[in-house]
Amino acid sequence: MTWHAVTIAGYLLVVAGIVALQLLATKTRAPVPSFGELLTRAMRSRTGRVGVLVAWAWIGLHFFAK
Amino acid sequence: MSCPGPSPAEVPARPGGRVLAALAGLRAPVVWILLAIAFFTSISGKPVDGVLMLIVAVGLAWDAGRRALRHPEAGETPAPARTDRLPGRRRRFAVIALLAGTAAYAGVVGSFSRYSWPATAGIIGLGTVVVLIGWHGPVRARPAGGRLPVAGTLAWLAVLVAGCLWELSALLQQPSLTTDSAAHPTISTLTDPLLATSPGRSVVLLAWVAFGWYLVER
Repeated sequence: MTWHAVTIAGYLLVVAGIVALQLLATKTRAPVPSFGELLTRAMRSRTGRVGVLVAWAWIGLHFFAK
Repeated sequence: MSCPGPSPAEVPARPGGRVLAALAGLRAPVVWILLAIAFFTSISGKPVDGVLMLIVAVGLAWDAGRRALRHPEAGETPAPARTDRLPGRRRRFAVIALLAGTAAYAGVVGSFSRYSWPATAGIIGLGTVVVLIGWHGPVRARPAGGRLPVAGTLAWLAVLVAGCLWELSALLQQPSLTTDSAAHPTISTLTDPLLATSPGRSVVLLAWVAFGWYLVER
């Protein structure tokens, strides 16, 4: 197995974890918040809200801007 | 008899009040995270990102500090929701106009090559508008909600932090911060083929704008 494949497998594992937690939150009664609830909680204060929105803006800047 | 001092609302207006406000705002962890992002983005060859992050960090520190000095007992208060909602027909028109605008934006900005000045201007423009809208609170009221379950929240944090650390380890195993590695690709490297084409960029921009709107409504 190459390092390239190991690196990709790591990303896929993280994505699988995110999907599994979201399914647990929305399809079962497990005490797991959904990703939306997590974001809503993080964005309750103004600093949290601006922080999350700036993180979103940064993604756009990172992939497209100089 | 008590001697009335300056009202709390006047505190930031005193000489040095703005400096005091900014220093008080440094207690917010988000400000430090933004300052760290500004530093690391700048040294990895993206000074525009770094300067923008620095501007937001200073603005947020000043805003948070100003509010903390005015209402020291209040702590971190929830951002107020705006309750002015458009009536049905106007709202439908607004949604259609928004969708059309988003498609036009994604088509136009996606047609510019990556890291060009027109693409940079398009991203900074929309990013600034969305952050300013969000700064004033959610666009519609939502129930406050109770406490999140601790174990489930920790599970989310573990997965998200693991993802960040995995990306960071791939970045640090590159020959340099600005040279890609085929053996240890970062997410940016993996998305390069998709973002090399104009339709690919437009699709990613559509998703980015949609996620931004989802966040503004939280």
